[in-house]
Amino acid sequence: MPPSPETVIEFRNVNKRFGATTAVDNVTFTVAAGETISLLGPSGCGKTTTLRLISGFENPDEGTIEIARESMVGKRPYERNVGLLFQHYALFPHMTVAENVAYGLKHRHWPKAEIGDRVREMLRLVQLQGFEGRRPGQMSGGQQQRVALARVLATRPRLVLLDEPLSALDAKLREELRLELKQILTAVGSTTIVVTHDQDEAMSLADRIVIMNRGRIEQQGTPDEIYMAPRSAFVAAFIGRTNWFHGRLSGAPSEGYFRLTTDAGTTLAIRDPGAAGGEKRSICIRPERIAVTGTEAAAARSGDNVLPGQVVDVVNMGAELHYIINAADGRIMVVEPNREGARVRKGDGVALQFRAEDCVVLPQDAA
Amino acid sequence: MGGRLLDDGFRLLALVMIGVILCFLLTPIIVTAVMAFDARAYLGPLPPPALSLRWFAQFFSDDYFLRGLSTSVQLAVLSVTISLCVGVTTAFAVERAAFAGKEVLISLFLSPLLVPPVVTGFALLLFLSHLGLINGFARLLCGHIIITVPYTIRATLAGLAGIDRSLTEAALILGATERRAFWDVTLPLARTSIVSGAIFAFAVSMDDVAVSIMLTDANTFTLPVALISSMRANFDLSIAAASVMLMLVTLTLIVILEKFVGLNRVIGQGVFRS
Amino acid sequence: MTRESRKRPTQPGRGSLPLLLPAGAVFLGFFFLPMAGLFLESFRLYVPGSIGSSANAPLTFANYVELLTPAFASFFFETLRISLLASLAGLLFAFPLAYWMTRGLSARWRAIAVGFFVTLMFLSVLVRTYALELTFGAAGPLRPLLLSLGISPNGRGYIETLVGAGLLHYIVPMATLTLLGTIQNVDPRLVDAAQALGAPAWKAHLTITLPLCMRGLLAAFLFAFTFSISAFVIPMILGKGRVLFISNLIYNRFSEIADYPSGAAISIVLFAVALAIVYVMSHQVLKRWK
Repeated sequence: MPPSPETVIEFRNVNKRFGATTAVDNVTFTVAAGETISLLGPSGCGKTTTLRLISGFENPDEGTIEIARESMVGKRPYERNVGLLFQHYALFPHMTVAENVAYGLKHRHWPKAEIGDRVREMLRLVQLQGFEGRRPGQMSGGQQQRVALARVLATRPRLVLLDEPLSALDAKLREELRLELKQILTAVGSTTIVVTHDQDEAMSLADRIVIMNRGRIEQQGTPDEIYMAPRSAFVAAFIGRTNWFHGRLSGAPSEGYFRLTTDAGTTLAIRDPGAAGGEKRSICIRPERIAVTGTEAAAARSGDNVLPGQVVDVVNMGAELHYIINAADGRIMVVEPNREGARVRKGDGVALQFRAEDCVVLPQDAA
Repeated sequence: MGGRLLDDGFRLLALVMIGVILCFLLTPIIVTAVMAFDARAYLGPLPPPALSLRWFAQFFSDDYFLRGLSTSVQLAVLSVTISLCVGVTTAFAVERAAFAGKEVLISLFLSPLLVPPVVTGFALLLFLSHLGLINGFARLLCGHIIITVPYTIRATLAGLAGIDRSLTEAALILGATERRAFWDVTLPLARTSIVSGAIFAFAVSMDDVAVSIMLTDANTFTLPVALISSMRANFDLSIAAASVMLMLVTLTLIVILEKFVGLNRVIGQGVFRS
Repeated sequence: MTRESRKRPTQPGRGSLPLLLPAGAVFLGFFFLPMAGLFLESFRLYVPGSIGSSANAPLTFANYVELLTPAFASFFFETLRISLLASLAGLLFAFPLAYWMTRGLSARWRAIAVGFFVTLMFLSVLVRTYALELTFGAAGPLRPLLLSLGISPNGRGYIETLVGAGLLHYIVPMATLTLLGTIQNVDPRLVDAAQALGAPAWKAHLTITLPLCMRGLLAAFLFAFTFSISAFVIPMILGKGRVLFISNLIYNRFSEIADYPSGAAISIVLFAVALAIVYVMSHQVLKRWK
């Protein structure tokens, strides 16, 4: 039996209030060594407060925070050996790159002789060799971010916190640096928490995603789990694009499939009705799980749903095609890879086809 | 139609006003600068028939003015040094803390700026006399300290406000204690504001008349006090020469300020905000 | 640098209190106690012929009552009148100047203009006052011109105007620099929008630019007015003893008559007036133009 990887940080039942607002509400999660998780959520969801609780700039009202099994109660930021990459880098403008990177080493009392080598090693890691003497003001955004990363990793922190690491960069640069960042973090073997509101950032960097909303954790899981099996309407809507059907369970199951009658009268086959009380359900289906075919009856298997609709718009995004289709239940969006150009045109009557297994069933609530 | 006429009319009026005010601001300065080189021994109408440095020579040979100058410089250097120490520590102490009466405390520290300088001088004179302090230089020093400290406090506060919190936090998370973060990050970044505060304080001290005139005694007086007595007794052009010298000093201070701090920061720091 | 990170409060500094001691000592010893002493002195009885009040002089309101006489009141109102006119005139000139500097000059020329005004502000008050007296005064080069225009350079009206001009020489640069920031904060496209909707430029500025600058204008006025009523050197030199501001009155009480209690009383009144003006303008009026 392989040894379970040690837990680097355990956040247990933590509450933090600011005046009348509860910023962090009974939050619990752990991160194992070498793992990268992401705290993902809209602004105000509590992810930034959680970050500040871990780094020590705020203290929890209730709950425990343990890093490497050591309680962090009352510990100041400089006593925690946690690395923090600030959203806007916070590089010291009056110091050179080398001095910035060496700062943590100096204050953790590394022997002088080793500091120079370590600085050079870190700059090589982020591909900024030779930049020792430059000042932050003379560098581009991408370069500044690398210096900030080198500064954070130099002291071999037990835990690395990244605050919206790619948000300050433009789209092209973001893609380049995303991969580089991931490679560097893996090479160093660091345990990382990425705090972000950008799902692309979260999905691409993290092994596990923790989705937060209004101070609480909505769902934790791998990117795939979050995407394919959202457990609430909030998560379903927050990640990726969704199509919704709302209705009631009807009739008895047959051949292992349940039936849902939507408010518009359509009947859909679904697999698992979920354990929620009552009959009202919401169904979420991802756009790429729907196929668009001509109106001739396609060979449908017993678990397939087929709905008629009319094409309202065709958007060519280059690598993808988006079809916007009007069906009885409202506007449906279908996404397919652009292999041979658009197969339908505006105004065409089409059939939408998707499997019951791909329908995610959620309780219908006023999320 | 009426709109356009009024538009043009107002525009013309504005331009005329701008021209008039600029002339008004510049003319006395230029006249003084020119007259300082007047070769005549009396105050005669413009333009001076010949130029000479006689008034400068007279100014520099006048023991009265030179004593005043020496006292002024000593006072300025001493009071600015003390003001800096007091002002910077105060600003740092106030800035870091977040408590209920903070705004009130800051207003209290800036309150000498609201008091008419004559009143400040008068109050100080009575108080120091009661305490038995009759040494002219010491009294003047007290007066100059209290009028310069609000400037150092205000400039330092403005400079501290401009430092991004995340820089201090970055230092803390990298392992520096609060004290080290202050020395490594806060102080260096506030340096230009502190320097500009010092330069302002220096100018205020060198230029002060009302406070100094109350605290002066027969043996100790500042240059402005000497000049003003001279102006009332004998309105001649040696003062024009002194004025030109003071203009040069001001220009030098401005150049230093521009090089070190940048004048836009000086304006932006709200020195002119009440 | 995000706006949020700038506003985060730090934990209250534990070492703050001892750091405040030097300032506390300086302000207590050089300011608050002296002012309290001045307040006390203003209530002491003055015996003509002595220097200041004697140690055990009884307390009295006489010094303040004396200020209610028309003689003193006239000084008071003259100070206020000239200060008010100078401050208003200063703003009147400074606004178009600041507007032109903001919108009509390139960045380079604006920097030069700013440098010019900052230099003027830094220039010793004595130099400026002397320069004005030299140029416009009774013994100056303009004397023949003034006489030919029928203006007597020794006349009271001329001297009052000259004092006002002296105040103006400080107020205009100061107000211009203050208003630079204010005008820069007004989006020029607003005036464009108004003109596109049919308003002539002058009306657009009157109804849009001016109200949006009200806060800055009031702040500049406040500064100019409190500076003016506290002025000492300018009325002393340019007033030639005929126009006296309150500060000059205080000095005369002190130096010529040695009536310290009366000087103290006038000082307290002047201080109270300055404070009242600051309070009224800062809180009441500025609140209206939120």
